[in-house]
Amino acid sequence: MSVDTTAAAAGDPPAGPGAPAGPRAGADTEGVVAMFRRVLESEDVSADSDFFLLGGDSLVATRVLSAVARSYGVELTFEDFLGAPTPGRLAEKIADAR
Amino acid sequence: MVVGAGFAGLTAATELAAAGIDVTVLEARDRVGGRARGLQVSDGGWVDAGAAYLGDRHTELHSLMAGLDLKATPTAMRGASRFALGSEETTRDGRFPPLNAVALGDLFERLDELTATVRPDAPWLTPGAGELDALTAEAWAERHLAHPDARLFFPLFLGEMMAADPARVSMLHVAFYLRSGGGLRYLNAFEGGAQQDRIDGGAHQVCERLAARLGDGVRLGEPVHAVHQDDDGVTVRGPKGEYRADVAVMALPPLPADAVDHRPEPPARRTGDRTARGCAVKVHLVYPAPVWRDHGLSGWSVNARGPLLSTVDDSPAGSGVGVLTGFVTGAEAHRFAALDPGEQRSAAVGQAARLFPMLPEPVGFHVTDWVNETYSQGCYAALFGPGDWVRHGPGLTAPHLRVHWAGTETSTEFFGLMEGAVRSGRRVAAEVLARR
Repeated sequence: MSVDTTAAAAGDPPAGPGAPAGPRAGADTEGVVAMFRRVLESEDVSADSDFFLLGGDSLVATRVLSAVARSYGVELTFEDFLGAPTPGRLAEKIADAR
Repeated sequence: MVVGAGFAGLTAATELAAAGIDVTVLEARDRVGGRARGLQVSDGGWVDAGAAYLGDRHTELHSLMAGLDLKATPTAMRGASRFALGSEETTRDGRFPPLNAVALGDLFERLDELTATVRPDAPWLTPGAGELDALTAEAWAERHLAHPDARLFFPLFLGEMMAADPARVSMLHVAFYLRSGGGLRYLNAFEGGAQQDRIDGGAHQVCERLAARLGDGVRLGEPVHAVHQDDDGVTVRGPKGEYRADVAVMALPPLPADAVDHRPEPPARRTGDRTARGCAVKVHLVYPAPVWRDHGLSGWSVNARGPLLSTVDDSPAGSGVGVLTGFVTGAEAHRFAALDPGEQRSAAVGQAARLFPMLPEPVGFHVTDWVNETYSQGCYAALFGPGDWVRHGPGLTAPHLRVHWAGTETSTEFFGLMEGAVRSGRRVAAEVLARR
């Protein structure tokens, strides 16, 4: 898994809806890590952290899905999230959906 | 002299008595507890007809309970939920409704962003307070929520969270309430949130035990109509007579507090024309057993149409009986409260039977209408309408000569909750002691 430290340091997802699509799963993982950190108000998040084990619940999960839709132009469902509750796996879902 | 024997008044009286002050508490009703009231549903089984929930952050309430030998009991739910949000009822695991998750996420992102801007200690100093306070939650939703699922869910969420009708509540008040209660996520959550526990045996016991320790100092059935001050003290008047005191603590919700005849008049009122009553009616349906559990259901439901906008399993542990509590909130509370008892029963029992088809006829049915309670004038708490925070906020805790103010609506921490009431009681006791 490549680590895009600039995106993490910026604390924001690296791409907007207008960003070029492509196989950027590594960069997306960092973007999703940043989203988890923001909504969970915790720095203790890595690519394989389980959202629900970190104390996330369904309400907070929808905020990640909203951020994913804004940043990547991809609308995932709540069930998608339940099936892929780590940044790494959610990034794969995002990549698959683009 | 303390007026009001709810959480705030009894906390204040207890602290003042402990400091050696001679305290009398006047309570209008024939019971203590204010907006907390116990309802007996079986031999030894009690449910909360009013205030019910607490979480770990409610530290003052927890420490008060520990001193009274009262325990918290978890609200943990197991099983699937029922939803009636579209044309038919559906069953789903967990509590997440069958609505567009991105649309709900957009709503929560916006609310969270707004909540973060609020000055929790002084909401009227929030950047853009005037503009936000002028806006009703309904107007805010029209402006910011595009997706029909977000528009459907927002009033249900406000109803459940703060018993608010979006058309009547200020958006600054909504943002403040969410912030004051610990944020969107904490306030919404059962496990790990503000609904993690109930008080074993009922929340009213906190007040009953505090009152028992105060003994003769608590006088029931003594509504207060007038509080007149002079240079030497305060005269507190009701239909049974009058009392003289050095200081009066008004531990009442703001609407009843403003109905008292104060002389001299306070420099500012506590409410305005647009201050609304919290719109909550609680319905308790009692069944021989919590039969929904045998069908893998938690008892939790969320419904777009009333009267029961949500239901929760409130069966007291070990009581045998099954209790579904129905929340009738927001605009629906006014409609339901206006029905006659027979209509209320058939609407609520019928809706419960559609949600949970395995239900037998209830063996008990109770409606607690807080909207029209003379001495509460609404529940969970007063709803500050457009302009209220900017106009009345700065004076909410300011003493008026010998009169001090308490009640959950005077607490910027955990406003509207039992915890806020307890904190206000401690704050006001410290104020009174500081006068000496």
